[in-house]
This record gives sequence, structure tokens and C-alpha cells, in this order.
Amino acid sequence: MRNIIKKFKFIIAAVVLYACFFFLRQDIFWAAVNYTKDFMLEMLQVLPPVLVITALMAVWVPAEAIKKGLGSASGLRGKLLSLLIGSVSAGPIYAAFPAAYMLFKKGASVSNLVIILSSWAVIKVPMLLVEMKFLSIRFMIIRLILTVPAILLMGVLMERLIKRSNIQSADDKDAIIELPNINCGACGYNNCKDFKKAVLNKDKTLEDCVFLKKADNRTGVTV
Amino acid sequence: MTIILMIILAAGFLLFSIIKSKKKTVEGLRIARKMLISTFIEVAGVMAIVGLVLAVLPPEVIKQALGGANTALSTFFGALIGTVTIMPAVIAFPLSKSLYVSGAHLVAIAAFLTTLTMVGVATFPIEVKHFGTKFTVIRNSLSFGAALLIALVMGIFL
Repeated sequence: MRNIIKKFKFIIAAVVLYACFFFLRQDIFWAAVNYTKDFMLEMLQVLPPVLVITALMAVWVPAEAIKKGLGSASGLRGKLLSLLIGSVSAGPIYAAFPAAYMLFKKGASVSNLVIILSSWAVIKVPMLLVEMKFLSIRFMIIRLILTVPAILLMGVLMERLIKRSNIQSADDKDAIIELPNINCGACGYNNCKDFKKAVLNKDKTLEDCVFLKKADNRTGVTV
Repeated sequence: MTIILMIILAAGFLLFSIIKSKKKTVEGLRIARKMLISTFIEVAGVMAIVGLVLAVLPPEVIKQALGGANTALSTFFGALIGTVTIMPAVIAFPLSKSLYVSGAHLVAIAAFLTTLTMVGVATFPIEVKHFGTKFTVIRNSLSFGAALLIALVMGIFL
């Protein structure tokens, strides 16, 4: 029960707030509904394709390939590739979280993770055109020229400030085995916690996890 | 436009996957469904609350904050407002233009636009869920600083 409340806390809070405004200020209520409708539409368009691509990549692209292309040894080419991945992808930053997380778990470096997230947020080809239309071409170009090096610099800085082990999702704080915690269910268990128990009981091996499969020991397993 | 390209790319990848292996495709789609449900639950409530904040906070308030006599202060406010709100770009750019027309500083608008997408109080809990508190705090702080820096340097050129 407590878990359910925790899981849905924002939705519950939203429903309560909307109910209050519905009775007190209908004008604000309807304006808010309008904004929320826009957000939801955007989300429904963006999330399915992004997540299908992410999931299929998780299944098909081996960890070595991602490590080679985006790992800590990938150098400038890896950074430019990250910049490209971020700027051609559609959608707001929350769509980037699961996608970038998958790449990170498969071996992308911290700096490339940051570069993907930041460029996903700020650099968008069609948005540049909109920016040009509403502000000016000069404004758009100067902002772009300044943003790209800022993002690269941030990536390098984050690489120094954050260790790989600092990055862990909410569920695996006390995990002995580092699992992706996406709870994808591909291993046959409902969530990563159950899968971990099975691994500890030797019912399953880490090779049964699609995210850890063929990952080398440094990225995947710390038993 | 990119959304259509993404859908085409996803469909193409899916087709390729089905031809190559049905089993792996089913596995992949199951992962996608799980991620979709959990992301939707995480994001939907947050978005609804942001929608309410935008409805309570009228554009006039933003205009006042971004058009003050002190450019440095307006820029800081711009970055701050961008941090606490999220807007679809289709709303953000027309708003920026009307802000400019009604007297906001371009530098402040630049700061606002950059933090709007790169720094997020609203998306903070979602980011923490994926990457942990330390990563999220440092990334958002650095992005905030970067946005201010970009805006101030833009002030030299504009």
C-alpha cells in the first residue's frame, strides 16, 4: 500500500490540487487542463517511438559496441556521436532519461551520458528553425555556437566530479549486484529485485539479463 | 517533424527486428512496454502540476521579471523562471517573442530559454530516479551556471 502511494504520489497530488481549483477557481482549472493536455499529447507522441528504439537497442546492440562507440575510451568521436544522438532525437528531456540510462548501463561514459542529456534538451534541429522564426537567425546561431562547447565542457567536468558508482537508480541503493533496475521482465521475473534473488540462489546467472549480457566485468557485475 | 522521423525509425527498426528474430522482438517490446508504463506514471503527475503552475503564473509576471531595469538581475530571474517551469517549445518561443516585444532583455530571454529545457525542478525527481541524487544535483547546477554564462556572453554579441 505504501509503495503504491509512493509510486503515484505526484498523480495523487495533482488530482487533489485540481479538485481544489475546480471548486475555487474554475478559470485556473481549465487553463491548467489546457496546458496539461498539450503536455500529454506531446508525451504520447514522443515516448512510444523513443522507448521502442531504446528497448530494441537494448536487445540487439551488444554492450561492447556501445562501449566502443560511447565509452570512456571513445574520445572526441564519442563526444560528437553523443551530441548527434541528443540533437536528432525528439522530445523533452524526460524522454531522454530512459534512453540515456540504457546507453550508460551498456557502457557509455559519464561525460557522454551528460552530453546526450544536455544536447537532447537544448539542441533540436526543428526547434532551431522555430527559434529563428520567432527571435532571429543571429540570436539562434550565437546561442547554438555558445551552447555546443558549454555542453562538451559540462560533460568533461561531470566525468571528473562523478564516479560511475555514484550513478544508481532509486531501487538499487543497497544492491550487491548492479542491475539495470529497469524492471523489464525479460528475464522472466517481475522486477530486478526478484531476479537478483534468483541470481543469489544460483537459479539464474547474470547472463540471463538482457542488459548485462556480454557486458564485461567492469560495467556489469560487482558480486 | 522529428517525431514523424522517430516513428519511421522505430517502425523500421521493429520490422528489421521481426525479420531477424521474433523472440528477441517480443522481448524488446516487453521492455518497451514496461518502460512506457513506468515513465508515464512518473511523468504524468509532474506534468499536470506544472500545467497548474503555468496557469497560476500568468505571462505578465514573467514579463515583469524579465524586463526589469537591471539586465543582470533580469537575466538571473530569466534563468530562475526557466528552471522552475517546463513548457512545450511551441509555447516557449512565441512567448519569448512577446516578452521581447514588450521590453524584456534578449539576454534574459536567452537565459530563460536555456534553463527551460536543460534545468528542471519539475523533472528533478524523475532524474533522481534514474541517475541518483548526486548526479542530478551536480548536472542541474552546472547547467544553470552554463545557461547564465551563455546568456552573458550573448550579451556581448547582441
